[in-house]
Amino acid sequence: MVAVAPATAPVISRRALLTGGAAIGVAGAAGVAVVATQDIGAETVLSLPVDRVVRTTCSPNCTGGCGQLAFVRDGKVVKIQQAADYPDLEYNPRGCMKGLSYHLQIYNQDRVLTPLIREGERGSGEFREASWEEALDLIAEKMTAIGEQHGYDSIHVFGQVPGSGYVHKGANYRAAATLGLTHGTSFDLNGDLPMGMPITFGVQNAEHEAKDWANSRFLLVVGANPLETRIPDAHFLFDAVERGARLVVVDPTFSSTASKADSWLQITPGTDAAFALSLAQVIVADGLADLSFMRTYTDAPLLVRVDTGKRLRESDLTGGEPEPNRFTVYDEATATAVPVPLDVLGIPDGIDAALEGTFDVELADGTSVAVRPGFVAVVEELERWTPEATAQTTGLDPAMVRAVARAYASESPAAILMGAGSNHWYHGDLQGRALALCAALTGNIGQSGGGFSVYVGQYKVRVKWGPWVNAGEDKAKTVASIYFIGGPTPDMHPDVPYPAAGYKGLFCTFANMFVQAPDVNRLYETLDGLDLIVVVDHQMTDTAGYADIVLPATTWYEKLDLTATPLHPFLQLQQPAIDPVGESRSELDIWKELVKRIDPAKYEQFWQVDAEDAIRMMLAEGGPAEGITYEQLQEGPVRLNVADPDIPFLAQIRDLAPFPPVSLPAAIEKTAAFVPTGRIEFYKDEDQFLAAGEQVPTYKPPFDDAANPPDQYPLRLLTPHSKWRIHSSYGNNPWMEEIHGGKPPVLIHPDDADSRGIADGDLIEVANTRGRVVAWAHVTESAKPGSVTLHEGWWPRTFKAGKGVNELTSSAVNPIHEVHYVPNMWAPSTGWKDCNCQVRKV
Amino acid sequence: MSDERISPIEALSAASREYGTIDVRSEHARWGMAVDLERCIGCWSCAVICKSENAVPLGMWWNRILTDGPALDTPATDEHGRHDLHWVPLACQHCDDAPCQKVCPTSATWTNDEGLVLVNQDDCIGCRYCMAACPYGVRVFNWGDAEYPVPEGTGMIATRPVGSVEKCTMCVHRLAEDQVPSCVWSCPAQARVFGDLNAPESRLVQLLESRNGEVLLEEKGTHPKVSYLQPRRRRPIQISVEEATS
Repeated sequence: MVAVAPATAPVISRRALLTGGAAIGVAGAAGVAVVATQDIGAETVLSLPVDRVVRTTCSPNCTGGCGQLAFVRDGKVVKIQQAADYPDLEYNPRGCMKGLSYHLQIYNQDRVLTPLIREGERGSGEFREASWEEALDLIAEKMTAIGEQHGYDSIHVFGQVPGSGYVHKGANYRAAATLGLTHGTSFDLNGDLPMGMPITFGVQNAEHEAKDWANSRFLLVVGANPLETRIPDAHFLFDAVERGARLVVVDPTFSSTASKADSWLQITPGTDAAFALSLAQVIVADGLADLSFMRTYTDAPLLVRVDTGKRLRESDLTGGEPEPNRFTVYDEATATAVPVPLDVLGIPDGIDAALEGTFDVELADGTSVAVRPGFVAVVEELERWTPEATAQTTGLDPAMVRAVARAYASESPAAILMGAGSNHWYHGDLQGRALALCAALTGNIGQSGGGFSVYVGQYKVRVKWGPWVNAGEDKAKTVASIYFIGGPTPDMHPDVPYPAAGYKGLFCTFANMFVQAPDVNRLYETLDGLDLIVVVDHQMTDTAGYADIVLPATTWYEKLDLTATPLHPFLQLQQPAIDPVGESRSELDIWKELVKRIDPAKYEQFWQVDAEDAIRMMLAEGGPAEGITYEQLQEGPVRLNVADPDIPFLAQIRDLAPFPPVSLPAAIEKTAAFVPTGRIEFYKDEDQFLAAGEQVPTYKPPFDDAANPPDQYPLRLLTPHSKWRIHSSYGNNPWMEEIHGGKPPVLIHPDDADSRGIADGDLIEVANTRGRVVAWAHVTESAKPGSVTLHEGWWPRTFKAGKGVNELTSSAVNPIHEVHYVPNMWAPSTGWKDCNCQVRKV
Repeated sequence: MSDERISPIEALSAASREYGTIDVRSEHARWGMAVDLERCIGCWSCAVICKSENAVPLGMWWNRILTDGPALDTPATDEHGRHDLHWVPLACQHCDDAPCQKVCPTSATWTNDEGLVLVNQDDCIGCRYCMAACPYGVRVFNWGDAEYPVPEGTGMIATRPVGSVEKCTMCVHRLAEDQVPSCVWSCPAQARVFGDLNAPESRLVQLLESRNGEVLLEEKGTHPKVSYLQPRRRRPIQISVEEATS
């Protein structure tokens, strides 16, 4: 029982602490400059006074959306602490150690304080300080030159997720709309867009608010690690457990969340769909399926033609106009195929809709075809995926999988919490569809404490932001940023407004794209062809370091904005606590100056606004924000007009309204096209799905084996989010560095380490055909043999060599993600974890 | 913006202030704390806010999180391959029989009326006997000039002089205004409960009774006022006997 506790790598045996024999060493080295002595004598000591306390919201794209208080003294933020003022008390305090240390970002040594213009080669790090006038004039001049020569759409505007600040992220869209630039995407590029959701439910994504976890009786956490990546909400798992719920965690590594689980299933990476199909197979085979739910809300009873694989439509039977283009079920009472309405879910009274069997029906032209309910195809597919059949793939004990299936189906309500570890695959859509099938088969959709939720990114537009992000009638053309990185693909949807002249310029705000994008070496090839790279940031990231012009941005403690998150339904302001540090300016102010220079008439028309005007414009649109005033928001968080608890699909489940509910800001017609039956779809009959053999949920092995063959690259590289950072943000935070030590560890199992002669702490190279990075081995039995884990977001300078882990990740586009195109809703979602590698000692 | 400075507690909104208000306080309070090891997620929020609240310089922690395992956030693995991962947040235990106080030659370390073990920095001569005596290793020493990540420092209390020893005060400066210590406020997992050990109706006392709190190094006879609630018993999914044998 070793018990040591240096301040930066503190470990101890709890048993030693409890039973004695502990020798707790401490390294307290630094001293203190005397400003004023605190005399903790007999007199009462009170907190030192402050100038003011400002209520604002932390939003670095972790999705937390945590209310914070900034304590200000002498114009400086001297403490940040959770506001803990949510009227739903269970949300308090809400906020993590990163948010609590954000003043170390505000005053960081990497803070950009003035505009910078590049002097040396790109990436040389040689800049000179410039005035705003000079920098803005130069950018305007170059943008105009590109615009006139190649078209303004050949400038790509990239920013991160809208929910982290509708005003300033929205300003990017408004600028793109004003000037005709193309705006990029983040949710899909981040790999967070869970394509299983639009495919199955017709929505961008839809999740239960976090407090509803506490209402669950069974929590199935798949590829998610909320204890590290949803720190403000992790306690809801414990709340549920204290009320008697069971917590089951499915993860290749023994994660922090796994440490709290009743059962941990150490699954082989990338095989979650196989596991989920086995669950579904057991649920159906054991007679545990809620067939009434399947018949009422899903496409299970809708007939599919055996000859074409297409659904049988009413027009097939009548030969009439395809309006109404209704779908059909087989009525066992009359032994006929009959249409069902599109405007209401359920089966009309008197119809006994079959879920099994194959039937012959006569078409309008007199021919006869065999048809069967789509559910038959689903069940037929499931029969291939019994727990025994998937055991080899998943590495899971079939008896355990059966037991989990039975518990999940009987301990209700049961919630599935799917995370990025499951979604971030080329076939992440299949993983999601299979898990969604489990939730539907057990009738857990639309139930408090149940559901199928994918928690990924602060993507959500929860207000009607059209008047702010559009310039009058003009809307920003949006191109999925994966096409910016790698160019158009053969199957790119025709609706993608890819610029005719390709890309000549990049305007990147609030994003560390050149480190955090997939397959960064490929991205750098694109960058080399650009005439202009502008980066707006408050830290000198490697992205800023590669720019032609860097503009110093305000942090959210220095500007006004409006935020929301999928994790809780409170609308909140970011309110400036201090004046901008250095010469920094907000995105909105920067765009105003640029538009004024490029198109003065449009400036007069659309840009005589400030952040408060923008917020009032969005609130005035009503919708979920109906009745919420700016003045209310100044006081604290205000709950949107949503159900309590806020859970998706209530109108569908309770009122039989057809799927999908609206996904703001898209028009409903756009997303309704994802699920033409108006039902939860487990059978897809678009040509691409049929061609891919993905008409029903199935399993396909990880995709990278073609580019990086397993015989040469036998290890799966997992790149989860770190608890010490939000992506690359906080990667330079001194307090976080003090805790974790600042050297990126590569988690590797002793079996894999031993066979390569690697010992704990060795420098190792992680490489594949796309790139390499050198970091330090952390040999641990908690790793899954055959995989290595290197958390994403470490700054390049922390590695011994390489630009970071995204030298290795893939930008491959799954053609299924190109069947439709609605940016951030049905678009290519990055498969970060489809990444094979080899590791060697250096 | 007024030129007048205000108490950071008085400046709180009613909702925030209510959140942090100590639940009950008896006529003669005796402050204590419970840390729920089932709820602790090892996030260090309590440690970070402690640094911020108390102007603790770089390189020093009054409160830190020990991993019960071979390395930071790394589980211990037994001979059967079973993993176990827990964290133990550790700061001054505010012992009733504080060894640090007994060895202090200048009585700089003292216990106040409410049971808090405190250091009067004016009287501390930096001999560090207390650091040797403390079985929990929670005291830190100011060897030289402080380094802060924010130039003007952080915090709600004054900094300490070179050559003095410092440690957790249970945020005594907040208690005077009826607010819980900052680590308790800021624990996102709601794993920390602060209260009056002399108030039977306090949430702390009730929790200690129902959850059977344990103290660290009980045999040292230090009688800490910080207790640890032990992790729960798991309810693993059971594989049926027939399935397991088939």
